[in-house]
Amino acid sequence: MNPEPFLQLDRAIHEKGRLGIMSMLAASPELSFTELRDALEMTDGNLTTHIKVLQQEGYVAVAKSFQNNRPLTTCSLTAAGRKAFAEYINLLEKIVRQNRPR
Amino acid sequence: MNPNWAEENLQAIRTLMERSAVYRRALAPIMLFAGILGVAAAAIGLLCHLDSARQFGGLWLGTAVLAAAGALLIARQQAFKDNESFWSPPTRRVTQALWPPLLAGMFLSLLPIFIGGGDAPSDFNLFATLIWILFYGCALHAAGFFMPRGVKYFGLLFISFSCGLFYMSFANVIPTDISAHWLMGLFFGVLHLAYGAYLYLTEKKNPVA
Repeated sequence: MNPEPFLQLDRAIHEKGRLGIMSMLAASPELSFTELRDALEMTDGNLTTHIKVLQQEGYVAVAKSFQNNRPLTTCSLTAAGRKAFAEYINLLEKIVRQNRPR
Repeated sequence: MNPNWAEENLQAIRTLMERSAVYRRALAPIMLFAGILGVAAAAIGLLCHLDSARQFGGLWLGTAVLAAAGALLIARQQAFKDNESFWSPPTRRVTQALWPPLLAGMFLSLLPIFIGGGDAPSDFNLFATLIWILFYGCALHAAGFFMPRGVKYFGLLFISFSCGLFYMSFANVIPTDISAHWLMGLFFGVLHLAYGAYLYLTEKKNPVA
C-alpha cells in the first residue's frame, strides 16, 4: 500500500470529533453550538476545544449573536475549511481505491 | 490498522452530512405526491367547473393543506425509517425559510377580497394563481439554501415564469378568462411530477448515502 495519501491527510481534520464537526458544517450553511453539541453528542468543553483547533486552522468561523435575549454561537465552514474538507475526502477516496482488491 | 478505516470514515462522514441536511431521499416522494395532488385538483376544477373565486380558492387552498400535511408525513416516515429525529435543526431551518413567503403569498392573494368587502374581482383566479406561483417560488428558493441545489433552481423557475406571466397578463397578451386551473395544474402538478421523477431517477443512480 502506498502510504503517500495517508501521510497527506490533514491532521487538524483527521480526528473523530473534528471530522464530525467538519462533516456537519459541510452540509449546512451554519449550525449553532448547541445543534452541533447535540448532534455529535459531545460535552460543551470537548466541542469548544475542537472548534478552537479548527478556528486556529482557519477552517471554521464562529459568530456570536443574541436570539431572544440569549447568546447564540453559530459556526460555519470558511472557504479554506471547505477546500481542506474536500481535499480530505479526496484523499480518503484515494486510499479506499488503493485498498480495493483488483 | 483496519484496512477499511478510510471507507468507514467516509461512511461516517456521509451519515453525518446527511443528518445535517434535510431528508433528501424524502424529496422525490414529496414532489411526486404534490404533483399527483396538483394534477388531480386541476382535473377536478376543470371537470366540475369550479370557477367562482370561492370554489377556486377553496379547492386549491384545500389541496395546499393536503400537500403540506402529506409532505410532513412522508418526511416523518423517512426520519423514523432512518432512526433520525423528525424535527431536526435542518427541518426547522427549511420550515423557517418556507413560511414567510407562503404566508405573504396567501395574504396578498386574498387582499382583493378583503378590499372588495368579500367580493372577488373578475380576474381573481388568474391573479391568485400568479401570486401563488411567485411566492411559492420564493419559498422554494429560500428553502433551497438548506436543501439540494436543484430546489433553488426549481424555485427560480417558478419566479421567472410568474414574472413573465404577470407581464403577459398586464400587457393583455394572455386572456384573463383563461381557466386558472390549467396554470395551477401545470405548475403545481406537472412540474412537481417532472421534478419528482427526475429526483427519483437520479437518486437511484447516485444514492446519497
